[in-house]
Amino acid sequence: MALPIRILTAVPICDGHDSAINTINLEFIRHGIEVVYLGFHRYVGDIVRAAIQEDVAAIGISSYNGGHIDFFADVVSQLKKNGANDIAVFGGGGGTITHDDARQMKRKGVDEIFFAGTSLTEMADYVKKHYGKKKKRRLKSKADLALARKLTELEEAASRRGKHQPLNDASPARTKDRTSKVIGFTGPGGAGKTTLIDELVLRFLQRDSKTRIAILSHDPSVIGEGALLGDRATMINSQDDRVFMRSMATRGQAGGLSPATESCLALLARSRFDYVIIETVGTGQEALPFRNKLVDQTILVMNPDYGARLQLQKIVMLDVADVVVVNKTDLERAKAALAEIEYRLTQNKRKQEIVATVAKRHRDPGVDELFELITKETVAAVYDRRKPKGRHS
Amino acid sequence: MSKLGAVVEAVEKHGRFVLEQVKRARSDEKFAQAVTDRWNKVKAEIPISKAPTGLPLPRLALPEIDEPGEIARYLFGDGLPGEFPYLNGAYREMYLEPLREIESFEKNGEAVAAGVSRARKTKERPARPPLQEEPTRLFSGLMLAEDTNKRFHFLSAHQRSKRLSTAFDGPTLYGIDSDADGVFGKIGEGGVAVDTVEDMVRLYDGFELGAPNFSASMTISGPAPIIMAMYIAAAKRRFGAKVVPNLRGTIQADIFKEVQAQNETIFPTEASLRFLCDMIDWTTANMPRWYPVSISGYHIGEAGSTPVQQAAYTLSNGFAYAEMLSARGVPVDQFASRLSFFLDCGLDVEYIALARVSRKIWAIGMRDVFGANARGQMFKLHTQTSGRSLIAAEFKNNLTRTAAELMLAYMNGTNSCHSNSADEPFTTPSEEWIRLAAHGQAILLEESGIFKHTMNMLSGSPGMKAVERAVEKAILDEFREIESLGGVLAAVENRYQRSQIQNAAHRYEQQIYDGTRPIVGLNRYRNGADEMPEVELVRTPRAKQKLQVERLKKFKKKNAEKSNRALHKLGAVVERGENSFPALLEAVEVCSLGQITGRLQEIVGRFRPMV
Repeated sequence: MALPIRILTAVPICDGHDSAINTINLEFIRHGIEVVYLGFHRYVGDIVRAAIQEDVAAIGISSYNGGHIDFFADVVSQLKKNGANDIAVFGGGGGTITHDDARQMKRKGVDEIFFAGTSLTEMADYVKKHYGKKKKRRLKSKADLALARKLTELEEAASRRGKHQPLNDASPARTKDRTSKVIGFTGPGGAGKTTLIDELVLRFLQRDSKTRIAILSHDPSVIGEGALLGDRATMINSQDDRVFMRSMATRGQAGGLSPATESCLALLARSRFDYVIIETVGTGQEALPFRNKLVDQTILVMNPDYGARLQLQKIVMLDVADVVVVNKTDLERAKAALAEIEYRLTQNKRKQEIVATVAKRHRDPGVDELFELITKETVAAVYDRRKPKGRHS
Repeated sequence: MSKLGAVVEAVEKHGRFVLEQVKRARSDEKFAQAVTDRWNKVKAEIPISKAPTGLPLPRLALPEIDEPGEIARYLFGDGLPGEFPYLNGAYREMYLEPLREIESFEKNGEAVAAGVSRARKTKERPARPPLQEEPTRLFSGLMLAEDTNKRFHFLSAHQRSKRLSTAFDGPTLYGIDSDADGVFGKIGEGGVAVDTVEDMVRLYDGFELGAPNFSASMTISGPAPIIMAMYIAAAKRRFGAKVVPNLRGTIQADIFKEVQAQNETIFPTEASLRFLCDMIDWTTANMPRWYPVSISGYHIGEAGSTPVQQAAYTLSNGFAYAEMLSARGVPVDQFASRLSFFLDCGLDVEYIALARVSRKIWAIGMRDVFGANARGQMFKLHTQTSGRSLIAAEFKNNLTRTAAELMLAYMNGTNSCHSNSADEPFTTPSEEWIRLAAHGQAILLEESGIFKHTMNMLSGSPGMKAVERAVEKAILDEFREIESLGGVLAAVENRYQRSQIQNAAHRYEQQIYDGTRPIVGLNRYRNGADEMPEVELVRTPRAKQKLQVERLKKFKKKNAEKSNRALHKLGAVVERGENSFPALLEAVEVCSLGQITGRLQEIVGRFRPMV
């Protein structure tokens, strides 16, 4: 089976018209395409950085607020400047982009402009026809680009291999030359994992001017279709040159991760990042996504609406998580939930931390506390701690 | 339970109340007599006007009923125009040609300027528009402030009243300065560029901002409090501080709909709502003629919602603002009459009665749940014809679409209206098409006799009644859904309205492509030639964009020191949790929009978009 096409879609800066792109994204997914959606009101720099890190075949831009000639041309030229001129650019803007504009834009390197009245299928077919074939690509020397392309190779290799044959030597814990602390975030959908991670990234970036972060974010593939990889759209702080983010579709694997997660994580963990953050898809009660010492610290993010107290007994991650974050503690049920979860953790008789957060709030003290828990042990110490115990290998 | 649940109960209770009155009028002779006497008196007092042909017509048309139960149903259930629950209109005469010249603008203005307290003035006067003025209000904004200013003078040259409606460019809508990285091509596109109070002075140059026949409307929400402060500062620079209580107009400032549909918001929702309430609190106390929030369904409709969703979300957003302001301790009679509404009008059948039903639900909710007085119960509505219904293919058909939508808008008794230009699918409207759009309204209201001789000319048909009932039920169902999610704010944070709107938008597109929603020139009667029309494109020349950047840099340099102090003070006020608006008024004198946005975002954070 052909590997899914990965593209990135976005709406330009100062433009909030996302109605069209939302509909188009859904259509692309239906046609088996994996769409990394960057959201609306996005700078050229953010779009280009994301396209490179995600190593997409093309960028689709939906522009309704004018200024499209400059904007599209800027995207093309910045791709070129960053050595990624093999990433194609296409787009549309209903009636706001005239035929004359489109001609100018094409002269400046844009592949195609779709006009009002183009059917959704027509657009999806265009993407499949033009961006489906693997282009011959030179190896890249620029760091982000080289890393991104390596990740693509790993992802494609894993997809070809199938989900039942994990790499033997891939576990990050066993990776030599590791330079990063790996933190795993998991928990049910809607608990606020993405927001929480983005708030932590803000703190990393503000703490000093050197820390570099990698994020490996997972979203589910729709059965028999593509996937909407939409975490970037809400991660406003993570669009930064010191953050390398990669969105992955689960491509049919159950359990919250992708067939390529382990190998990609291993690569990231030795790629000069201080912290590698991995986010699973929204998980169920029985999920245990981080096996084989995949991560150094496990953080379970819950929201107070888990139902009756009895439900807590069934959540297996509560047994193994290093930190349990109860997010959205501004909700009415929060107090009771915190007490119930705290009680549940005492049964485990091991050291586990519990943190109450309201991640949507700027400068939330709970998120500060979580940041402390993540950073109090230096990366080197984490690595040392692991090394002597480096059993089974 | 949030107040929305109480509104549902109040509307249902009102329905039962009407039925009781009907029964009572049929069983209680004394009551029947009173109802009939009132009816006969109303009918006897209706003045007669003459059509140009000489045909005499009553200035108010009433149903031909003489049975007391039916009279009670009409009087209590629908209400006469200008009477609770305002189904037939917020005011008595609306678009009618005046019988005699209404008292001069000056006289009316002086009453307000003299500081007649609002509380006293609200004592049940006969409801009538404060001034006789054209309901036409055309939205415009292009390039730099002086260009938009020129357009404003062009548009209002022949109008008795100067009612300007301002569109801002992308950077302004997002609170970003024109000299910020990456926004250059966007300066002056789709609206006017405003960075500083100096731009604001240029924008309305030549207009008497404090005059009773002048009103300004500003379509901006995310940074609305900052822009509002700039407007006030600009007015003070030109006319002195005494002008402030006379300022008349509207600023959109609707945060909920931004989060639900339009995506032009810059602070986290709770922080945005706080700045908004700070502004409403200040303006309703100091600028009694200003509408500090225009609760907008337009963008919800344009983002693809169904008409019912549009009305339901708009009304529930309105009730949520009322609940927040009440909780803050602002007296209901200070703010309720200063809330205004803005709806979309498209071609779907619901639009035959959407605004009528909205007026009724608002009136019942404000009276029975919030205890507002008569002025606070009125749903004051601006309508715009649907931009989404206009298409590029064979674009001249857009004139017909807009004309039909205008007809529906006026059948619904909108208080003001914007008609879209046919060239809008491609460009900021050019003068040729904007003129045709404006004339469309004049033809309907002035040239044709449909609306100028008789109120209720087209109200209350059996079909309209059927739509009213169906729409009202569907709106209340939506209210129940929102209430079950914990009220408007909780539903917004769970992205309920957003996903409902997106689903509706997707269905709409599907219907166009599978042909179940006919669009002439697109999926029906296509002429084959896929030509793009020759229209005059309005684009901001690069030289103008550069000029804007230079002006801004000059302003910043001139005020470098003062702006630091002002930003520091503003920050401290926000940190302390005080009303931020007075500090904003000071800050805009020396700070740019982007500087203020940046300072506030340091404290409260940035808006995290929802997908």
